[in-house]
Amino acid sequence: MTRTRTPGISRRSTLALMGAGAMSLAAPWVARAQSKTIKIGMPTILSGRVAQLGTSSRNAVMLEVEKVNAAGGLAGRQIEMVIRDSKGQPQEAARVSRELVNTDGCELLIDAEASSGAFAVHEVARDLGVFCIHTNSETSALTADPKQHIPNAFRTARQGVHDSIVGGSYAAAIAKAKGLKKWATCSPDYAYGRDTTAEFTLYLKRFAPDVEIISESWPKLFQPDYTEVVTKILQAKPQALYSCLWGGDLTSYIDQANIYAMFGQMEVFAVNMADYTALTVVKNLPKGIHSGNRYIKTFPTTPENAAWGDAYKAKYNEYPTNWSWENATAVMLMAEAAKKANSADGKKIAETLKGLTIKCPFGADGTVTMRGDDHTLVGYAIGWGTTIPQEPYVPEVKAGDWKTIFELEAEWKKSKGYT
Amino acid sequence: MTELEAGRAQALTPVRGGAALHRYRDVLIALIAFAVLASLPLFTGSKALLDFVIRCSAYGLFATSLNLLVGYTGLTSFGHGMFFGLGAYSFGLIMQKLGVPIPVAFVATLAITAMVAAIIGAICVRLKEIYFAFVTLAFQMLIHSTILSWASFTGGDQGLRGGIPRPAFLGIDLANHVHLYIASCALLILGLLAMRQIAQSPFGYTLRMIRDNAARASFLGIDVWRAKLTVFVLAALFASMGGMVMALFVSGAYPEFAYWTISGEGIFINMLGGVSTFLGPMVGTVLLLLLNDTVTRFTEYHGIVLGVVILFFALGLRKGLLDFVAEWFARRRDAGEGRHA
Repeated sequence: MTRTRTPGISRRSTLALMGAGAMSLAAPWVARAQSKTIKIGMPTILSGRVAQLGTSSRNAVMLEVEKVNAAGGLAGRQIEMVIRDSKGQPQEAARVSRELVNTDGCELLIDAEASSGAFAVHEVARDLGVFCIHTNSETSALTADPKQHIPNAFRTARQGVHDSIVGGSYAAAIAKAKGLKKWATCSPDYAYGRDTTAEFTLYLKRFAPDVEIISESWPKLFQPDYTEVVTKILQAKPQALYSCLWGGDLTSYIDQANIYAMFGQMEVFAVNMADYTALTVVKNLPKGIHSGNRYIKTFPTTPENAAWGDAYKAKYNEYPTNWSWENATAVMLMAEAAKKANSADGKKIAETLKGLTIKCPFGADGTVTMRGDDHTLVGYAIGWGTTIPQEPYVPEVKAGDWKTIFELEAEWKKSKGYT
Repeated sequence: MTELEAGRAQALTPVRGGAALHRYRDVLIALIAFAVLASLPLFTGSKALLDFVIRCSAYGLFATSLNLLVGYTGLTSFGHGMFFGLGAYSFGLIMQKLGVPIPVAFVATLAITAMVAAIIGAICVRLKEIYFAFVTLAFQMLIHSTILSWASFTGGDQGLRGGIPRPAFLGIDLANHVHLYIASCALLILGLLAMRQIAQSPFGYTLRMIRDNAARASFLGIDVWRAKLTVFVLAALFASMGGMVMALFVSGAYPEFAYWTISGEGIFINMLGGVSTFLGPMVGTVLLLLLNDTVTRFTEYHGIVLGVVILFFALGLRKGLLDFVAEWFARRRDAGEGRHA
């Protein structure tokens, strides 16, 4: 028998390969036309200093998306999440979001970026007109400033000014009861730290006019050594201290201040203490630190919230973070809006989302609302309490009053020229 | 003119003619490159590809201008990113606060950059090597800190919010994606052509001489300080142009644009592409962005992948990609000539 075929790739198999190649190239388009899946893009921070928070955002979204998909999907379309790292750089966040929409065919965006990244994604949403929910940026201006307003963008994160109003009134009540007049502040030196501290002291003085700030410290963000800050505060001898340090900064600060027995000498108000990322990492969590709730499964004290926290822990073997509940709420709201609109179309979801109230484990009264006029979340659980060194860490949280928040927020908006 | 000089002048004449020819060749290449880039939207509807080229323009201008300092003059600046940030912020702020036409803001930004670069350069270029590198880095951190702390003006760490207005001018509407793309390509090609002219001019050769032996250049009557300052300011202008393209692309400006990591990326791009050829940084830009975009699609451990690539170039090739290719061609040509001879 003679071999007629030369070794190597035959014409037939070449043709077959080419055919397969063409098929695989064409597949996405065919699939897009036929299938009912809907892609949701999500830029977030998965590397670097705050990767833990970005990961917890992704976890929460996946947890909720599974539930939505099991219940039939977004208006009948199964959700496929496309989640990508922005490295915490705004230009990357902008690029990734554009890529998600333009190349990957995502029809909706969940923007799980912090601070400047959120503003960069906001511009992409403005540019492309794509539906977008900001889930992590607490900067009030993102939704309060009418210049930022676009019909297709929303926010499900807590808002800086809400926190300050509740924190200020809570701290003022304690200041009055215990006669705390001399206060010191210690917050990270960037926009969030400066703004939040200014707003907190504004409301503290409003509710307790005889309070006086006698010392201010502004450690750098991600500063490793707080000795000079701690000694400066101890020398000033304040009766109370306010801090909005967070995450690793807060835990190193507490560990270092513990050496100087600082927490026995003054009342400490640390708004970002009651988050598991801080609570579980501090070596000796002092008793009696006042903190706002970030995410804690015991507040609101409902079975729904506890069940959600436990389900998250069971799946990922760690507790959720503040970013987790904010992202989970975004998926819940989108699912409900899509159901009401009976469509997964971004425009229709946006229209239905305005003013929508849904049942939610993180609501102060079991519900949260997407406020219609400025597209931001209200009615979420917000409160302050004091710490104990073991679980449940913050046994009793005093809930903030949303009526007061609304009044003062309206006033604040006016003072900023936003209304 | 001494006899020796006269002889040399005669010998130089044909070289001058050659330089003119080279110049026309460069212009021709630039025109062809622009025509190819500008016609791209006709063949593809891929917005991602256009986005990619816009970002290549921003980073390419920045990295090539850095090469004017690093490769041609031997000034390793670790703070070149400050001009990238300065360009983005000046342009964004002028557009937001003054609402002037885009070309006016463009020219004003270049003027501001030139002024700042002249002041910073006057201090820095007196220094050599590591001292120069560190003082430029210090100035970069100064500008970065200023942007962060002057929150009422720059928006602090949140950046310039609310988008950069892009009113149409001369029939060009930069809010339109294709218009922005063509404008970015035009800026890139014009910028590269201008930098090529600088590099090939007598001034460019003066820079090479300063790089190789500053003392000799000084003895030949060259004012080394002035030449270094001039190239420092010129490089800053092109970096600022890159910053403006980036500001237009993201419709904002963020403190990260003025952070040292941008300078680091510039150095990295130069290492990737090579500093001994003019287009090395451009090749490096395309490589880095391509790597970045593909790797981040698949993994969040992009740091490891990029690190391995750096190691490969630094320890394996020991030079940039285009340096390697150029040397390989030169060796082949030499070998070929050797055979013919």
